[in-house]
Amino acid sequence: MDVLKWGSLMAFVVLFLFPFFWIVASSLKSRGEFFTRPPVWFPAHLDWSNYPDSLGRGALKGLTDSFVIAFLSMVISLLLGAPAAYAIARFQVGRENLAFWILSIRMFPPIATILPLFVIFRFVGLVDSYTGLVLSYTVFNLPFAIWILKGFIEDLPREIEEAAKVDGARPFQIFRMIVIPLAAPGLVVAALFTFIFAWNDFAYAVIFSGSKVTPLPVVIAQFAGGHEILWGQISAAAIIAILPALVLATFLQKYLTRGLTMGAVK
Amino acid sequence: MLGKQEKNFARLMVLPAVGLLFLVTIAPLLFSLGVSFTNLQFGSPQPLRWNGLDNYLNLLTKDARFLNALWRTLLLVGAGVVAQTVLGYVIASLLFRISRGRTILLSAILIPSVISQVVAGWQGRMIFNASYGPLNDILARCGIKGPAWLASQQTALTSIFLTDTWQWTPFLALIILAALQSQPQDIVEAARLDGAHGWSMFRFVTVPLILPVTGIGILLRGVDLFKTFDLVFILTQGGPGNSSETLTFFTYVQGFKFFNPSYASAMSFIQLILVTIAAKTFLAFIRRQRSV
Repeated sequence: MDVLKWGSLMAFVVLFLFPFFWIVASSLKSRGEFFTRPPVWFPAHLDWSNYPDSLGRGALKGLTDSFVIAFLSMVISLLLGAPAAYAIARFQVGRENLAFWILSIRMFPPIATILPLFVIFRFVGLVDSYTGLVLSYTVFNLPFAIWILKGFIEDLPREIEEAAKVDGARPFQIFRMIVIPLAAPGLVVAALFTFIFAWNDFAYAVIFSGSKVTPLPVVIAQFAGGHEILWGQISAAAIIAILPALVLATFLQKYLTRGLTMGAVK
Repeated sequence: MLGKQEKNFARLMVLPAVGLLFLVTIAPLLFSLGVSFTNLQFGSPQPLRWNGLDNYLNLLTKDARFLNALWRTLLLVGAGVVAQTVLGYVIASLLFRISRGRTILLSAILIPSVISQVVAGWQGRMIFNASYGPLNDILARCGIKGPAWLASQQTALTSIFLTDTWQWTPFLALIILAALQSQPQDIVEAARLDGAHGWSMFRFVTVPLILPVTGIGILLRGVDLFKTFDLVFILTQGGPGNSSETLTFFTYVQGFKFFNPSYASAMSFIQLILVTIAAKTFLAFIRRQRSV
């Protein structure tokens, strides 16, 4: 039985990791190795030139744009999300309705908000700007941050906050001096997830980007949609785009379920 | 009870977040709702006017391309949810039954679910490439002539389904594993002592116990499958023909390729209504199961 269990698990591991092997191998192939039948499974020589080449063709700009936008989106989500989460968790402001409304934003088909936002952004000149993309990412990142942090704050013992209140601390002091440090793990989880969600997004990115702002997923899509498909360079760019997600999966294993379900499953 | 001062403090704390969310969701949606009742089309010679429910009626009664996209999307949601839940359960129960190495195996399997869909789509493009891809190479070595996958009307949607299932089955496995691990052991033991085993154990003990948590995963997956856009964009652009066009992709085409925002707005509202009804029905179903 053990053999069967481990055998099937290994088969699943191979199945889920095979595409990564394939793009890693592809990113190291030289030009001639892409169009052979049968395909080349292991490149004869490791050709690293696809990496600098893809960075030179726009992936470096994509990398920096993605980083700046994801970082700013994370900062805004935490700055606005933490106070809101505290108020909802401890003061029941807006009761169930407000919490449910915030949750339901996650269910929206993005296209429903993208379309009108695009018209509005074009009118005020926010298309193809960092601000436009950062703003539009709050549509999904802010509700996420509020829900995750609400869960973490609800798990904190109330006694410390109550003792501080008896000692005469003002509500905002309690929030800043007690709740924020105690909820630090929650803040880290919220920060990393909001960063990754923005980093991985394509739907908003492809519509709100332009010639000035090109997040990495858009660069990859442009590479892949061109007349001449640069298999090696695209694979190299894709591997660069995966790296932050790998960091997330490794460091946050304990909190992955919680993060991926918006805190619904702890 | 909260004092007045505390109430005001709480309101002040949620105000920035609620204000911003209002600006980026409710306000655009209201604007879009208004536009959906007009004939607004960029570059059209016709003057702008209200046309009531015309866009909605056209979509639901006349537009075959829309109805086909709707049907295709529902198919994708149904097939995706079933396949990912069943496979996710198989993986989760295998992981649940091993005593060592669970964490490392789970980390490895989970990588697809944390990467960008654009990367998953790019991987699909390479894997499914009919002439130079590894999938048809493997099939050929087994003596099977593989289909054209992305380039064939018969298999384009299937390729999208396979890519999505590859990417998100690990996510459901993660959730179902969490559900399995949180089963109260006394109930499981009591059922075993009462003679439950095999199918009866699964159907009458395991399923009810893991359903509330698993249900959340299924709901999130269903909602996201209904919004499938990135994979269509990268893998097929809706083609060949319109054979793999989903609702959100068709909405994108109407809005950003045909510059027809009024029609696209009506379409996105129909999607919003469908998602809301489906999600609420599903949640009610889960709640009823839990109380039985």
